[in-house]
Amino acid sequence: MRAISITIALFLLSGCGIKEVKPWEKGTLAKESMKPNGGNVLVGKFVNHIYFSKEATKGGGGVAGGGCGCN
Amino acid sequence: MMKFIITSLLVSTLLFGYQKGDMVSPTISKKLDLKNDKIYIIDFFASWCGSCKEEMPLLIKASQEMDKSKFELIGVDVDEELAKGEAFQKELNISFRVVNDPKNKIIKAFDPLGMPSLYVIKEGKVVDFLFGAKDNIDKLIADELKELSK
Repeated sequence: MRAISITIALFLLSGCGIKEVKPWEKGTLAKESMKPNGGNVLVGKFVNHIYFSKEATKGGGGVAGGGCGCN
Repeated sequence: MMKFIITSLLVSTLLFGYQKGDMVSPTISKKLDLKNDKIYIIDFFASWCGSCKEEMPLLIKASQEMDKSKFELIGVDVDEELAKGEAFQKELNISFRVVNDPKNKIIKAFDPLGMPSLYVIKEGKVVDFLFGAKDNIDKLIADELKELSK
């Protein structure tokens, strides 16, 4: 009975973690629509302009690599 | 108690992908059309994977240079959108056999840690794997096949 309770507790605890994104699922993350501006160039420029005017710096909003999760 | 723990551990190992020495399941073998008389290199790639695209010309070169009676390079395109994957294959002029895996059933069985990923299969068994793009992948494949065919 104790062993079963421990196993059930461990099983339930293992479900508490955030599910990792598998390497082959990263195609979704690489989509244009997954960018903060939703792929809208104008919105992107507008957001960058606000960031530039508030922070007095720009850039660093992109992600390097092909999204394949191999680096 | 011990029996219970051992069974739980055995069940948990089923949740992981293929490791060195693991037999490829008959379902996956059938999907990839694997035979026991050849050594296979399985390459997982996708159109959105920049490194896969960069590495592809070297893989094409490696597949053309290998002895086709003994070895075969099989590509597995994991693009969820089949049309995109096929356009990518056409764009890169992939000359080796490609199996499309839009539902990701094949790659889920292998469960690689990154992409592109290469698996070497001999007599239905995983003998080696490699994750990530390599500058000299054609040479690495040639060396591996030379070693395995000894």
